[in-house]
This record gives sequence, C-alpha cells and structure tokens, in this order.
Amino acid sequence: MKKAKIVQKKFLGTSFVELWLEENDIARLACPGQFVMISAGSTYDPFLKRPLGILSCQENYFGLLFDIVGRGTKILSQLEIGDQVDLLGPLGNGFSLNPKEALLIGGGRGLVPLYFLAQIFTSKKIPFQFFFGIRNQEEKVLIDYLSELSIPMVLSCQEQLSNYYCGTVLDAFEDWLHHHSQSKPTQKIYACGPQGMFQALSKMEDIIPNQIEVSLESRMGCGYGVCLSCAVKKKGVPGYFHVCKDGPVFRLGEIEL
Amino acid sequence: MNLQVHLGNLTLSNPVILASGTAGYGREIAPYLDLDRIGALTLKGISSTPWVGNPPPRIHETYAGIMNSIGLENKGFDRFLREDLPFLENFQTRIIANIWGKTIEEYSDIAKKMNGLERIDAIEVNVSCPNIEQGGESFSCNSQILCQLIQNLRQKIQKPLIFKLGPNTDDLDNVLLFMEKEGVDILSITNTYPALAVDVENQSFIFSRKTAGLSGPAIKPLALKLVYDVIQKTRLPIIGMGGIMKAEDALEYLLIGAQAVALGSVNLVDPSAAVQIIDGIEAYLIQKNIFDINDLIGKVREVWR
Repeated sequence: MKKAKIVQKKFLGTSFVELWLEENDIARLACPGQFVMISAGSTYDPFLKRPLGILSCQENYFGLLFDIVGRGTKILSQLEIGDQVDLLGPLGNGFSLNPKEALLIGGGRGLVPLYFLAQIFTSKKIPFQFFFGIRNQEEKVLIDYLSELSIPMVLSCQEQLSNYYCGTVLDAFEDWLHHHSQSKPTQKIYACGPQGMFQALSKMEDIIPNQIEVSLESRMGCGYGVCLSCAVKKKGVPGYFHVCKDGPVFRLGEIEL
Repeated sequence: MNLQVHLGNLTLSNPVILASGTAGYGREIAPYLDLDRIGALTLKGISSTPWVGNPPPRIHETYAGIMNSIGLENKGFDRFLREDLPFLENFQTRIIANIWGKTIEEYSDIAKKMNGLERIDAIEVNVSCPNIEQGGESFSCNSQILCQLIQNLRQKIQKPLIFKLGPNTDDLDNVLLFMEKEGVDILSITNTYPALAVDVENQSFIFSRKTAGLSGPAIKPLALKLVYDVIQKTRLPIIGMGGIMKAEDALEYLLIGAQAVALGSVNLVDPSAAVQIIDGIEAYLIQKNIFDINDLIGKVREVWR
C-alpha cells in the first residue's frame, strides 16, 4: 500500500473538493481514466477505501477532484495539507490515447477523467472538441478547469445561464452536430457522466456504441479485482464485467446500463 | 522462532491464511504481497462450471464492516486451470482450493477435479450455498444433507479436507461428531453472518436477495465466540476467521485455540496486511519470550484436545 501526503487543497463551491497529493509512482504512471483507492480516515469506520478518478498529474504530484456525496467523501473533504493517506493505484484501464480526432462529452463530476484526457490530447496535439454539461449554477465551478485549457468547447446547463446551451450536454451535442451538418460523427467519442447520460447516448441515432469509450463509476470493495463487487452487466451475453479490473473505461456497446 | 503449525496432515510455515474470495486466485493480490510469506492462500470459490453471480448492488458498507452478496460468481474450473494455475506454480506457499456446488453431484465433480491437481495442497468446502434440490436452502441448514455431502466428498478427496461452516449450522454438535467419524481433517470457522440492510431513501431492501453476508471488524467478537464454542466440541483443528485486522486480533483466535487464522475483509482495504500481521505475531512471541507458536495456541483456556 502507498502513502501520500496532501500538498494542496481547495474547495470549489460547497460540494466539490480538489486535493493534490505527493506520490511519485502514481504521478508518473497514471493515465486518464485510471483511479486510486483512498482511505477515508484511519479507523475501521468507514471501512472501505473510496475509488476516485485521477484529475491530473504533474511531476511528483497527482490531483483528485470529488463531490461530497456521502460519509467517505465528507471525511476526505476534512483532510488538511500535510495529512497522510493510504492508497492503492493507479488502478484500472484508462482511455485509448491515439485517436485522429476526438469528441469529449462530460457531465458533472464526469469532468475528472476527461480533463486529464484533454490535457494529454492538447500536449499530443490531437484535435478535439469538449462538450460539458452542468445541472445548475452550483456546478459552474467546474468550468474553470476547462477555461484554463483554452480548448474548443460547448457548455450546457439545465438551468438558464447566459452563454450556456440550455439543456443536457447531449442536447447541446446533437444541436452542434446539426449546426455542423455532421449527421454522423467521425471523431472518436469519449464520455463520462451520470448513468442517464450513457443510456441516452447509447440510444442516439447515428452513433456506434462500440466506438465510444465511457468511464464508469461504481461502488467498490477492493479496487483491484478480488471482491467482485463492482459488477456491470455485459451486453448481449450472460455475466458481468468488473469496473475496477475490466474498466473503468469500457466501450459503450459492451455494457448494459 | 518457530511459526510452523500443523493442522492434521497440513503443515503451514505460519498460521496466517488468506480467506477465500478476498485474494482472487493469487495473481490479483500478488503485486501487493509476497505469497511465499503467508501460511496459505485460499482461492476464490470455484465451481465445476462458470457462475455469473448476483446482480448489483453486491456490496454495502456498514459500521466497521461490509455486507456482500456476490453470489459465488466465478470463472469455473477450466478457466482457472488455464489462466491461474500456471501462475501458482511459481510459489511454494500452500494453496487451498475453495469449492462449492448447487447439488451434491456438482460438489463431487469439482472435488474430483481439484483433488487431481498436484499444486493444490488442501480443499476447503463452502457449505453456505443454496442447494437447488432442496428449494435453495443452504446445505448447512439441513444436517442430514450436510452429512451426505461430507461422506460423499471424503470418499472423493485424498488431500486434506476442510469444511467451512457458517454461523448457523443445523445440529452443529452432531455434524461435528460426524465429521470426526468420517475423517474430515480441518474446520474453517466461520463464514459471513447473514444480515439485512434497508434503503431508507427508496424504502426498499438494499440487496435484491434481501439478506447478505456481514464481515469485517463488526463481527469479530461474534466469530471469536463461535470459534471458542466449536473448540469445546471437537478435536478437529480449526482455522479461525472473522474480522481480523491486526496481529492482536489474530492472537485472540490463536490464544483460544485456533491452530491458524484466516484474513478476509482486511485484504480488501489493505492487500499487504497479511505480512504486517505475521510480523506482528512474531514480535509478540519475542516480547513474550515464546519460542514456538504452538506453545501459545489455546493458552487462555485448557481445551479438550
């Protein structure tokens, strides 16, 4: 098990937290889409580590960005600079990194692996377009990450906000396709967001689910393939994949959501 | 310093075993743990043919514990043979195969297959699974059926034979006598505790099968009591397990008379815990000036053995 020291901490609005940790191996090896299992406290309660996607890596440091959704993330949000945490990682299989051209589609905290991916694509000079959706004004804090990258993007919000497409990120995406008279996207699609977004995406006309890479979120026990808790149904055949070991990145067409 | 323990005809270099279902087939945990340091590795439960397991959710965190309802998912014997057995050949550590079936015939089939593998040092039988010929009730819920299973498997298995008993074994006293008579070698006590959780927000059960198995520190005092009770009733050597997180927990089991211990849930949160626990046991023996771990086993109480 690895130990990492927290070197930077930032609250974004009331529910998002960004942490930067010092751990050489993870910082050096992590790819977009991979995650760490991080312990929430040093007692047996909460018992399990929490899976968190990696936001970015720089030198000996890696960043995490999470939403306070329960007891574990609440405790993680109370960690301070200088605190040490136990963790495993980098874990899982990340996104493929060599498309000719890409479309990134994210919603809410689905930003995390896509932000990392966007950084890699920028450095590799792979052309891409970023579609990002938020539910409400509160999530606007996530947009700052993208503004920083100065990349072509389309933003959507389910509430009325100026300069945002009003609707879901997929509404914005369809609208964009329509305006660019592109009925069938030829770019490779990468997506991360809530389950409903994946379900809607797989039903969209003119997209080929097997060519879309999605990064899934799941409750996990171990994160390294022994407990088999993070099951996701295989499409068309009996049985389950395990998000931690077979994913968290899957082809949209191979999973049943 | 001697850490070697003998469980009937199964000798372990030290008393710390990885419990079934918390270490995969060895390959998964090997990056975090030197398999040759542990007393034995118990493989994830295997049936003759692959089994898909239960729909999610499969896990639910409780106070200091976890509930699981994996549903015995496994890749089946053939894939184990192809994908995992060659890896295990690289190690000296004892390997215990954990087996299960939905009928006595299925148990018998996987038992014969495992018994034929040289690399497998012992076979542990999980009897806490549904018997589809008896309306899906667990094999351990019916002592008559359980005894049939014991007799049948003892005839098929020449390797050391371990029965893993959950906390609710029907007619435990007679089952234990029968196991001794039939020549079962070792007992694993215990399995997860049947437990329930409710989703208050959605006003439904958390798990699709309603109940699930509770493990982790939450059950340690209960499991320790069960191990203690079973020790009073049988001469068979016992692998004690339930909620062991650190050396001190393992020592509690050894002190009441378990000849070995198995680590389960702790492997999920710290895959290298076993080595720290072995080191901790060793440090304790040095501190207490005990040269042989066997002088520690059962020390807190005179037991009938």
